[in-house]
Amino acid sequence: MLRTTAGKLATAMRGTLGVTSSRVGAVRCLHGTEESAEEFDKRYEKYFSREGIDGWEIRKGMNDLLGMDVVPSPKIIESGLRACRRVNDIALAIRWLEGCKDKCGDHKATLYPYLLEKITPTLKELGVPTIEELGYDKPELALKSVFDM
Amino acid sequence: MALRLINSALRRQLAAQLPHNAQVGSVASVHTLDKIGKREVVGFGWNGTACYADRADYPMPAVRFREPNNEITALRTKEQGDWKKLSPQEIKALYRASFCQTIAEVQAGTGEWKMHLGIGLIFTAAAIWIAVLMNLFVYDELPVTFDEEHQKAQLKRMIDLEINPVTGLTSKWDYENNKWKN
Repeated sequence: MLRTTAGKLATAMRGTLGVTSSRVGAVRCLHGTEESAEEFDKRYEKYFSREGIDGWEIRKGMNDLLGMDVVPSPKIIESGLRACRRVNDIALAIRWLEGCKDKCGDHKATLYPYLLEKITPTLKELGVPTIEELGYDKPELALKSVFDM
Repeated sequence: MALRLINSALRRQLAAQLPHNAQVGSVASVHTLDKIGKREVVGFGWNGTACYADRADYPMPAVRFREPNNEITALRTKEQGDWKKLSPQEIKALYRASFCQTIAEVQAGTGEWKMHLGIGLIFTAAAIWIAVLMNLFVYDELPVTFDEEHQKAQLKRMIDLEINPVTGLTSKWDYENNKWKN
């Protein structure tokens, strides 16, 4: 009885050991291929400029990007805008601009004019107004409090 | 027998109720689809629920804010063409059909802190007034032992009794010269 148990235990442990070593390998591999900033930009550019992308995927990509600790590069913003053009959703394009502006955080004074300067040709080409042109850089409408309804 | 009777009565009751709550527990109610009317589902949202909220960190919610009506449908047809032909009003109308608030509006201060500060100060003032009035009208005079003469006598007694001579009060008293150590 004891011998069989010990034998089983040994096999089980050998199994665990084997699994562990292969897992370590996998983890090391993941850490080894760190994505550079250029690759990251390219990946998202490619994502947004894919033929046949739909509104659902665009929103997913934008929400993902705006949830990360990055300011999207002008190239990504442009390809996002073009994706909005392909699905005919100007509201989404403006929301995307707003989200990118918000990502500039404390550096809105320096970063945002730079982004705007870089993407202006695309905005002109597509006919998307900037947030300032629409007056959306400042609150336009106030919501009634739900407690006053 | 009695149990069986109760059981069958319960079943009849349930059967009578069921048609009214057919929506409850259905697939539509699980995904909150029974609440969005004709609104278009355009994204994944939070946990896959078809809900709407304006958030700066997740700007594109799962559903469009307004249900499509004739006006918006006409605008959407126009949106298919050149965007340069859309007037700012039309663009704003399209935006507000998709979203409730702009991000600037989401982040605008509500001024609610003033109310909270005001209420806090009202209660602080009330507490101070209560303390003052209690001292004036409720509490007795302080006991006689609080005057300076009694306090000095108490200190002398503590020194005489050598209270806490290692680290405390009388460790600082020089008993040979009868004065405080420097």
